[in-house]
Amino acid sequence: MIVTAQKPLDEILDFLSPYKSVLIAGCDGCTQPPRGLREARTLAQLLELGGKLREKVFGFKVITLPKQCDSYLTLAPLQPQVRDMETILSLACGLGVQTIAQVLPDFPVFPAQNTLFIGAEIREDNTLEERCAACGDCLLALTGGICPIARCAKSLLNGPCGGSQHGKCEIDPEKDCAWDLIIKRLEKLGRLSALDEISPPRNFGEVMKPGRVSG
Amino acid sequence: MNLSENQLKFAVRLNDESCSRCAVCYSACPFEAIKKDPETGKLLLEIEKCQVCAICYSSCPAKAIDIIYYDMNSLTGYLEKAKDEYKSDSLVIKCKGSAPDFEDVENLFGISEFIPLSVPCVGRIPAEVILKAISTIGIKAIYMLACDDDYCRFERGSLIARLRVTAVNALLEQLDYGKEVVRFKQRSLKVKVDRNKCISCGNCVFYCPYSAAKLEGGAATFDLELCRGCGLCVTLCPALALDLEHWEEARISTLIANLSRKKTGPNLLVMRCQWAVFPELGEEFDSDIHIIDMPCAGRIDPLHIMEALRQGIDGVLIAACHEEDCRSKNGSKEAQRLTASLKKTLSQIGFEERLHFCTVAPRYPESFREELRLFKERIESTYLQEVKQ
Repeated sequence: MIVTAQKPLDEILDFLSPYKSVLIAGCDGCTQPPRGLREARTLAQLLELGGKLREKVFGFKVITLPKQCDSYLTLAPLQPQVRDMETILSLACGLGVQTIAQVLPDFPVFPAQNTLFIGAEIREDNTLEERCAACGDCLLALTGGICPIARCAKSLLNGPCGGSQHGKCEIDPEKDCAWDLIIKRLEKLGRLSALDEISPPRNFGEVMKPGRVSG
Repeated sequence: MNLSENQLKFAVRLNDESCSRCAVCYSACPFEAIKKDPETGKLLLEIEKCQVCAICYSSCPAKAIDIIYYDMNSLTGYLEKAKDEYKSDSLVIKCKGSAPDFEDVENLFGISEFIPLSVPCVGRIPAEVILKAISTIGIKAIYMLACDDDYCRFERGSLIARLRVTAVNALLEQLDYGKEVVRFKQRSLKVKVDRNKCISCGNCVFYCPYSAAKLEGGAATFDLELCRGCGLCVTLCPALALDLEHWEEARISTLIANLSRKKTGPNLLVMRCQWAVFPELGEEFDSDIHIIDMPCAGRIDPLHIMEALRQGIDGVLIAACHEEDCRSKNGSKEAQRLTASLKKTLSQIGFEERLHFCTVAPRYPESFREELRLFKERIESTYLQEVKQ
């Protein structure tokens, strides 16, 4: 899932300040935490309250869209909603904001979120954790289903480094050392020999930016 | 509350001097809060375990138990007063758990004029009160609405009330008061799902303390046999696809919108779990304090808190049960987490002091009023500072 964090209210209020009528658009797609109707309505109330402190009165309209990154699914329900509005505040990830910018070329759109990473939901800890770097050359077969590119602070291919201490990372002792996890898991599976060969440097040019897949 | 009169430190007290050692309270207590000394037969109350369901009080044949809430005198006193006030000789006694208000009494019992009595669990109503209401106060018919047995927040409250009603009805019939003087109904208020709005996020599946939610065919479905109506899933549904019967999101919004706000001075809203605070009969507060009782702290919704603040309420106090007392497992815990998270966001616009979460319990009768007093003081000082500016 695409993990996002809400921008500071002041920042949002700053870029909304030239406008009076704002369409707040939630996204029911994959954003985590979910940024649907509940979030959109809560944000509208927070901005209304924050606006009052700046002596600014907004007229908000709140909707949610099924999947903002899909231009086809987004344009149709969005078009009738924006007629009497001046701008859109999108609760989707960066993709949603850009899709709206694309389908409504003459209309200003702003992000309410900072898009962080592709993360897994660790429900028990109420956290979202980066697990995939979308590197385009999946290593998981070799590393026992644990990705060192996304989960090692140094994205090492041949770990662990000397900073792995008691299973934790020297960069952030709160976080697990990915290589410690990989080795323990391979050991458990009896597949430690998978690491006998040193992995050569990778060609990160496999995915040329911006990535594109057809068909 | 007659604290000074009763000299009660806690809400419930066992009086050893009048106790006949029959140990009915010991067997009836759903929370094992009453202990029996094996040698002397003396009964002891462990107040920390007590949930103040008053099943012991209503069952004690020796009247050896004192309770602060809804004791016999206050119940009969209320009925005597209410009989004139409501000009009716029908009485509706409902458990708060089975209905937040009296709106559907007509549907349920076919009566439109009645004396309303709302209590936390009907298992606390002693048979004597019913008999007195009929024989001396002049009530002609009693309608009792209880929760379903497996939905009762006090385990056996509904069951005990039902057995008691059967016995009382038999007795009243023998005494020529007629058949089935007390009508007894049971129900539960459960989750409602709009599958068209569901986005399959799985929050309800993860958070339901009773494993009632499943994702099937791309949308949430609920096993209503398992649902205990805490409303936690409703509060955590990002798509607003869920609702709780009789506690609909829109109903709570309307209650908030209709609060009669005082024009001067700060207005406070208290959203409290109905099991955390047992209001006195005819409870009254200053006109700047507004109270909304909720089915569980887990249904206290950040959206509703925001609605109140946006509509000019100056402070919102959340009163939940202590985590270990929560009558629906995780309601209090999650309410605390959600309040903390909303407070963090509110701090970005300097509103964090406007929201406060506290835990209280009916076993300490003064705890809620004390929390409210402290919160009011804080909001008043913030408010005065703002007015000065």
